[in-house]
Amino acid sequence: MKSPKEQSLHTRRDFLRTSVLGGALAYTVPLFLEKTFLCLDTMAAASPGQITTGKDGTILVVLQLAGGNDGINTLVPYGDDAYYKARPKIALPKADILRISDYAGLHPKLTGMHDLYSQGHLGMIQGVGYPNPNRSHFRSTEIWQTASDADRNVAEGWLGRYFDNCCQGSDPSSVGVAIGGQTPQAFTSSTPKGVAFSNPEQFRYMSEAASDPNSADMFMRQMNQPTDANHSSLSENSGGSIGMLSGPSDNDGSTVEFLQRTALGAEMSSDKILAITRKTKSTVDYPASQLGNSLNLVARLIAGGLPTRVYYVSQGGFDTHANQLPSHERLMNDLSTATSSFVQDLKAQGNFNRVLMISFSEFGRRVSENASGGTDHGAAAPLFVMGGGVKPGLYGNYPSLTDLHDGDLKFSTDFRSVYATALEKWLGAPSEMVLGKKYPLLPFI
Amino acid sequence: MVLSHYMFSPLPEKLWNRNLAAHLLDRAGFGGTPADIDSLVAMGPGKAVDSFIHADDDGDLFPKPQMLMPAERMVYKQREKAATTEEARQEIRKELGKAEYASMLELRLWWLNRMRYTAAPLQEKATLFWHGHFATSNAKVNDPYLMWQQNETLRRYALGKFPDMLKAMSRDPAMIRWLDLGQSRKDHPNENFAREVMELFSLGEGHYTEKDIQESAKAFTGYRIDYQTGYFRFQPKEFDPGTKTFFDKSGPFTGDDIIDAIVAQPQCARFIGKKLWVFFVSENPPEETISGIAELLLSNGYDIGATLATIFGSAAFYSPHVVHHQIKSPVQWIMQTTKMLEIPLPDARVLENSLSALGQVVFAPPNVKGWDGGRAWISASSLLYRYNLAAYLLSGKARILGGGNTKTAIIPLDTIAPASVRGGSDQLLDHLSLRLFNYPLQTKDRATYLTYLEKHPVPYSNDTVRDLMQIMMSTPDYQLT
Repeated sequence: MKSPKEQSLHTRRDFLRTSVLGGALAYTVPLFLEKTFLCLDTMAAASPGQITTGKDGTILVVLQLAGGNDGINTLVPYGDDAYYKARPKIALPKADILRISDYAGLHPKLTGMHDLYSQGHLGMIQGVGYPNPNRSHFRSTEIWQTASDADRNVAEGWLGRYFDNCCQGSDPSSVGVAIGGQTPQAFTSSTPKGVAFSNPEQFRYMSEAASDPNSADMFMRQMNQPTDANHSSLSENSGGSIGMLSGPSDNDGSTVEFLQRTALGAEMSSDKILAITRKTKSTVDYPASQLGNSLNLVARLIAGGLPTRVYYVSQGGFDTHANQLPSHERLMNDLSTATSSFVQDLKAQGNFNRVLMISFSEFGRRVSENASGGTDHGAAAPLFVMGGGVKPGLYGNYPSLTDLHDGDLKFSTDFRSVYATALEKWLGAPSEMVLGKKYPLLPFI
Repeated sequence: MVLSHYMFSPLPEKLWNRNLAAHLLDRAGFGGTPADIDSLVAMGPGKAVDSFIHADDDGDLFPKPQMLMPAERMVYKQREKAATTEEARQEIRKELGKAEYASMLELRLWWLNRMRYTAAPLQEKATLFWHGHFATSNAKVNDPYLMWQQNETLRRYALGKFPDMLKAMSRDPAMIRWLDLGQSRKDHPNENFAREVMELFSLGEGHYTEKDIQESAKAFTGYRIDYQTGYFRFQPKEFDPGTKTFFDKSGPFTGDDIIDAIVAQPQCARFIGKKLWVFFVSENPPEETISGIAELLLSNGYDIGATLATIFGSAAFYSPHVVHHQIKSPVQWIMQTTKMLEIPLPDARVLENSLSALGQVVFAPPNVKGWDGGRAWISASSLLYRYNLAAYLLSGKARILGGGNTKTAIIPLDTIAPASVRGGSDQLLDHLSLRLFNYPLQTKDRATYLTYLEKHPVPYSNDTVRDLMQIMMSTPDYQLT
């Protein structure tokens, strides 16, 4: 076992070799790379035993099920008559349930998840929610993304605060990658961290739009090179003093430096990501769905050694107000097959033990079905934790189907306990700094 | 008065030049062409500022967008009620959803085009400022007509008196839904609006107590939306006429009384003054600037137009620490770019996707705090997107999200770079940088652009000009205003 110091030196060499000397950016070794190394040093020192290169650090994948997944038809309380009473039309037949316990089992289409459970890699946390649940998609998503209390408005995302507290100034693709057109609010911090793209071919400078792409690319890169720290943009071009009271001495020039730093980080991330995705192919088949594509992309980035520790993917369509049986079945099938492919892929790569995936949805759905064969917005729901480091099984208690709060399940586990567990036990990060409070850790890792 | 007189001493007329006129054009509005700058230069600073503050309202040029009206919404609801099968009900709901979606697109295009073409750009810019301040999103309101009404209310008061605007916003149907005021009953007041009216709209955290929130929430009871008309309706039965104790005074206060008590706090002037300064002038204003602008607001009864006139006329506004030091918001970027290139706004799909990728979808701010602005606009992804959007607008050849099968406008390259400036590299570069940056180039950047030009034959072709513009717009420099 190497000491943290040795590890960080090793890290630094790796980083230099893979990102700078090997990449197209050998002509510039900017200041902020130094900061990155410093940061890696600090992290390595702060969490002995945990190394943060693209080869061996732990990785968290957050999977958003957008729209409010019907948790009751996902982890089904088939052993409870109340379930069949509350859902005469959409309750799933007892015989079809993939059993976990005498009380609860998985949706019949979640065969992949059930296999994962049998192999010892799936945990199901029951009754996850928060006090005073909000039933608006917008607001409840925001609460999950920011890890705030229901009666507090917080702008920063929980992962954004993790990025802020754990790694300042590093190249953005080594911080977090969200698959999708928009950066999730979970990534929001004082300045946006991480990168977001739905297709890596979109996340690059499209020099081919110019009539002379090569020189456009070259000159663009040159124009985005960081200037010397001492260089003052003002001294050269203020056009003569206007002769007035001294202006606010806001860190002049630093906005330009910030933009240059971001641009360089974008180039590096883009070069790295494209280099990986263009050469790395998956050896397994994924379902041809948005989730399948997203997880495929994440698997390739992991295989290619991108030093990112946080990935974010999402699957939409869970707002099943009407005639939900067929649509929910499709969603469960997609979730299960995409996850299976992802797991198979990671195992083939030898990276399965590095990855923890957590699913979440902004809320569960009503216990009782509605008149349209669907379910309306609810509150607490189960969530999945998957990975090589997960201890399998059911966690917490299944909330009572009859002792309800406004027709909804009462939560028994605060979702921030799940976040805290992932932060502390998986990423090795101090959760209190990120979440603002200590939450009880769960034993699923 | 002493402080604000000193802080905002007017810009000496003799210093007025193209760079400063361009700065005013960009910050008080959404930029423009070299010709627009020339006309401001000719006016002199006093008249130039006045042309923004007292521009003629040209609202008649922007007729109300096609939207789902409250009466039509009622028809959907009645049809839904009357339907006999679940399938039919579902079909009606789907239709309604489509109509809402189409209305939202219409409304967004309507406002963006108004920003793009209005002759009163400060009115729109200030409306955008207040939209970020009151930060109401259709994601929760779910009614584009109410969002449009709010937008009109913001516009009406944008350069007026802030206390009037705050009262109008407390009665604004979209706001009533956004902050749950419609559910605030006499026996069970909802505190959401009462909290945010102080925390986000007027005082900032730490300048009131929880007790102040609980008491003022009682005063804002009975505020309702009339679903027939989409207008505000006061429901006396739900109003709590009892005594409230607010900021150490007691009485049977109404919501308006609470707002009067709030704006009487000097902290309110500091809070609003600082936000104005950050939006229009620069981030992190020093303490004396905040005090100066607060003094101004308190002395003129929170007259926003008059306050902005003083700021735009002041030497401080043209400080080298201010000019070309602000990161363009996505909306500002799109407006300045299309105006500068003399092209219309891009295809609606491109516009929608771009604002979303760049992080500023109007009518859908990310949360109750609005857009952070400044550096928060810039991430690796959004910066690359800006570069590629520039390339798309210039040549139509960058494959940006939503850009497939769309046509881009033809850039009037003969106007932007007439034959007379294509004979020499200095000449062309000076000409282009004036249009693109409104700001002198740094020596190093200038040298790089000249190297580029020297590789190409004179007279410079359209391709060379367009490529150079693409490079110039793919820079940190172009993100600043």
